[in-house]
Amino acid sequence: MVHKCGFRALSQFPHAATLLCGGLAVVLALLGEVVLAAFALMAAGVSFLVVRHLIGLVVKANEQKYRLDQQLIQSQKLAAIGELSSGIAHEINNPLAIMGQETEWIKHLLKGDNLQAPGATDELRDSLREIVSQVERCKEITHKLLDFARKKEPLIQAADVNRLVEDMARLVEKEAAQNNIKLIRGYDKNLPRVSTDPPLLRQVVLNILNNAAYAIGRDGTITIATRQPTADSIELTFSDTGCGIPKEQLDKIFDPFFSTKPPGKGTGLGLSISHSIIVKLGGRITAASEVGKGTTFTIHLPVASPNGED
Amino acid sequence: MPLKARVLIVDDEERFRFTLKKLLTANGLETDAVGSGLEAVEALRQRPYDVILLDVKMPGMSGIEALAKLKKINPEVEVIILTGHASVDVAVEIMKLGGYEYLLKPCPMDELLAKIESAYERKTARGERLRKAEATQAGEAS
Amino acid sequence: MTKDFRVLIVDDELDFLETIVKRLNRRKIDAKGIDSGLKALELLEREHFDVVILDVRMPGMDGIETLKEMKRKRPLMEVIMLTGHGSVESGVQGMQYGAFDYVMKPASIDELLEKIHEAYARKVLHEKKVLDSKLS
Repeated sequence: MVHKCGFRALSQFPHAATLLCGGLAVVLALLGEVVLAAFALMAAGVSFLVVRHLIGLVVKANEQKYRLDQQLIQSQKLAAIGELSSGIAHEINNPLAIMGQETEWIKHLLKGDNLQAPGATDELRDSLREIVSQVERCKEITHKLLDFARKKEPLIQAADVNRLVEDMARLVEKEAAQNNIKLIRGYDKNLPRVSTDPPLLRQVVLNILNNAAYAIGRDGTITIATRQPTADSIELTFSDTGCGIPKEQLDKIFDPFFSTKPPGKGTGLGLSISHSIIVKLGGRITAASEVGKGTTFTIHLPVASPNGED
Repeated sequence: MPLKARVLIVDDEERFRFTLKKLLTANGLETDAVGSGLEAVEALRQRPYDVILLDVKMPGMSGIEALAKLKKINPEVEVIILTGHASVDVAVEIMKLGGYEYLLKPCPMDELLAKIESAYERKTARGERLRKAEATQAGEAS
Repeated sequence: MTKDFRVLIVDDELDFLETIVKRLNRRKIDAKGIDSGLKALELLEREHFDVVILDVRMPGMDGIETLKEMKRKRPLMEVIMLTGHGSVESGVQGMQYGAFDYVMKPASIDELLEKIHEAYARKVLHEKKVLDSKLS
């Protein structure tokens, strides 16, 4: 900004200087002072060169800034990929460690006459079965990761969000009831039909409800509400009376691989997938929580399609 | 290897603990296993362990936190950190808190056994030096 | 919305299967029933269907495995998962593997019809998108 204004001033000044020198050259020439006229002409030329040089500097500076911005975006992207990769590494390490252990045990069983011992062949089978199971676990992690990485473009259709949410609520309700978890609904009856991708939104709702039930464990409530805060947006809220999320973890919950569940239970990708879906649908998702009290997820979605379809 | 070291495994992956315990026991080590830093602290309060194998990444109390607490309960116990990822700052942190060393998971059995052995040796050697020093002091006092 | 689309119901519960197919046929829906995932996949090699209603829990090849194969072979065909005992885990899985929607038994024929129509509408939209992108 500063160099833009400076540039403008500078550009006018040498321009004037060039004119002045040029004019002076003409006058001197007319007066017969050829040598002096030549000098004046040179001065005019120099200031023209000065102007051109200054313009060149500014253009270069802008190019530099653009390149740095691109590098920043790229390095941010790389940082995100790096984070994802280290997340994958950590996640896959556990199954790998178990598989390593099992093969050590198998090697032990195959030593000397260990295999003759009672129950040894059962142990052998058990270790092999465990290896297969851990391979499955790794497969799931990589598949979910590929899903996450793959650009799943939303297919926009008009949806009755209340009904969509209710369908998923009823799915969760039966199992939740077994753990004495109640579902309370507060749907806005006048909620307009929304342009969105219904199966993708269902995934998000199911994921949040599932997490809510898990956070509660036994005896609690999940409150679901929809409303229309503005003419062109709708709001969905999901509140649970679960264990809550500590403040230090709250801003990480949408990170890929961040999970508060024990290893093997869930891959930690659910919320990050949900987050990227909501963003793709042109909305935003936030979480608020208090340890010991519960958590509330809030989703905002545009009523009209995010990319002008439908 | 006639080691009579008492080992405590601390790792939140159940199957990992289960099989590692079998492996260490088959190699003559008296082994117990727990699933969290909290349980490890409790266990160390109740029974004497020589070497503790501690996973660095656990929900709840982290491995580093547990290391600090365990060393407080018994400064002589040797703690080997198991981690899926080597990082300089974590290594430095471990050393500062008195950890013996860290090993990358998954770790081949012979390497693990060797580390447990050297950790145990360091513990017994240190223990002997301490007792000698105490004996000398007691001798001087009397 | 044209009604000449075809629906395949896959469920090992034969009574339920017969009832649903009959009821859908009565509502002028071209519906066919089959009682296993494996047989359904074989049928899909020979006949065309637009929407599939697929039971999640079946002996042999289970619902999720069948769903994965179906989405792999016929990515434009929409699949609605069906279950007798609302298993949320399989619901989450199903949605992640591309199921259009999820319905709990007992499902009223009206509810089922509504979802079938929505699934078909989505298929049409999807096909159009694919065709449009090919032209550009």
